[in-house]
Amino acid sequence: MISEKGDDMKTLEISNLHVSVEDKEILRGVDLIVHQGEAHALMGPNGNGKSTLLAAVMGDPRYTVTEGSIIYDGKDVLKMPVNERSIAGLFLGMQYPQEIPGVTNSDFLRAAINVRRETPISLFQFIKQMDKTISDLQMNEDLAHRFLNEGFSGGEKKRNEIVQLEMLKPSLAMLDEIDSGLDVDAIKIVADAISSIRKENNMSLIIVSHYERFLELIRPEFTHVLVNGRIALNGGPELYERIDKEGYDWIYSDYGIEPEKQQKQEKTRISIGSCAVRESLEGKK
Amino acid sequence: MIVRQDSRIELNGGFQTVDIDADTDLKLELNIKDSGNLFFRIRNAGKIEIRGTVPEEKNVAILFWNDTDKKIQTVESYEVERDGSLSLAYGECNEGDTLRDVQVSLNGRSAHAGLSSASLVRSRKDYRMFAVNNSERTSAEIKNYAVVLKDGKLMIDAVGKIINGAKRSRSHQVSRALSFEEGQNTTILPELLIDENDVEASHAMSIGRVDENQLYYMMSRGLNMKECTMLISLGYLLPIADIIANEEMRKALREELERKIRELCLM
Repeated sequence: MISEKGDDMKTLEISNLHVSVEDKEILRGVDLIVHQGEAHALMGPNGNGKSTLLAAVMGDPRYTVTEGSIIYDGKDVLKMPVNERSIAGLFLGMQYPQEIPGVTNSDFLRAAINVRRETPISLFQFIKQMDKTISDLQMNEDLAHRFLNEGFSGGEKKRNEIVQLEMLKPSLAMLDEIDSGLDVDAIKIVADAISSIRKENNMSLIIVSHYERFLELIRPEFTHVLVNGRIALNGGPELYERIDKEGYDWIYSDYGIEPEKQQKQEKTRISIGSCAVRESLEGKK
Repeated sequence: MIVRQDSRIELNGGFQTVDIDADTDLKLELNIKDSGNLFFRIRNAGKIEIRGTVPEEKNVAILFWNDTDKKIQTVESYEVERDGSLSLAYGECNEGDTLRDVQVSLNGRSAHAGLSSASLVRSRKDYRMFAVNNSERTSAEIKNYAVVLKDGKLMIDAVGKIINGAKRSRSHQVSRALSFEEGQNTTILPELLIDENDVEASHAMSIGRVDENQLYYMMSRGLNMKECTMLISLGYLLPIADIIANEEMRKALREELERKIRELCLM
């Protein structure tokens, strides 16, 4: 299991990363190094590429890497399929976790744990671990038997991401606005769980969050500000503290950055309830 | 019991397992005396013809588990008398082709029939399911759930017919097929032939591919495509077992489905 390799120093090295979605370039040369055990806060105004960066590292098929490299633990991540990236120790706590009807949380997690092991985890050991995790995240006891995220509230989905994080014990976790949708108490529960997993496994973190309160609980040592698809500014905790108080305007004036007008990253997704024809005629509201 | 030639099978209540293992065509006659459950395991056969009548006020469940990788053909015909009930369940997770033709006639007042199938399709599966409401207050329910894998070809012709005079009768059907990639071939023809006004009837049908975002989500936790296919197929097909009231038979179907889905999806 990955946790057994706790002493390994696994480094994530992102160099000159360019990423496009449907021919629109979102990331334009991102460089970032995360050493084992470090926590990095990734900040920046909406639509500047924070989620894109995390999705590209995980291998979301909607994003195309057009240039640059991602190396983790000496391996070329871009050559690995999504599942192998996970087995290599990468984890993405998603902003919008998917609902999978028919697949229970416990079947899903057991399968995900077993792909990391040579011999399958015993039922006893699994239940013990699952019970502890459910109690750490203060979730309902029936979680294991419920279908994966189906009918979960926004907050439950986010907590369930951390349940998976605790069960799978990755060496590097990327958390994409995992605190949004959580109430004040839940933020504390989730942050405590993350901090304790981090301590236990020397896990690295890349956190995208707009809330200083959440960052304050995790205390990342590094802060990066992503503007116009590039990292415009690097710093320590003082940087996210200042952004929390003053916003981003001072960065534009102090560092002479001209923020581009935000554009929607994705085309309208057609679904029941939205009329794509009407939206294309009237413009998306 | 093992059946190798034309036979008459008695059902006197309880739970009975019948293994069909014949090199030739077979004719089976069900002699149903009392409420009970029959579990047919098809190991080998050519064309199988089955006939049976559920007597008044009797309650019968029949489960067919196809366990042969050879091509089989079944022609089944059942009648249900007043206040009788017949549940037919088909588990098709084998690699052989299947050509099935089932007809259930609800002849007595308040007779009921449920026809359901769970299929993991890697070969050719061709089903015709025909339920006829011939009497008042009868009800028929057809449910087909299928996961169509690479090179699978599924054809379902589900027909619910209510004749003139079969007042207050019901005929409902649901057929759903799920696939994981392009290139599978699925045809579902839901049909309702209604000759009476005072009835309830409906059909629902869906054929679709698994959402790519769902697959990405599962793979981002370390599962490969085959493991995702297995978990989603289990979730899709296992609930069909829950419609079987008899616990022993329900358990048998769940176990067989689970074993076969794991085996086929991980191949």
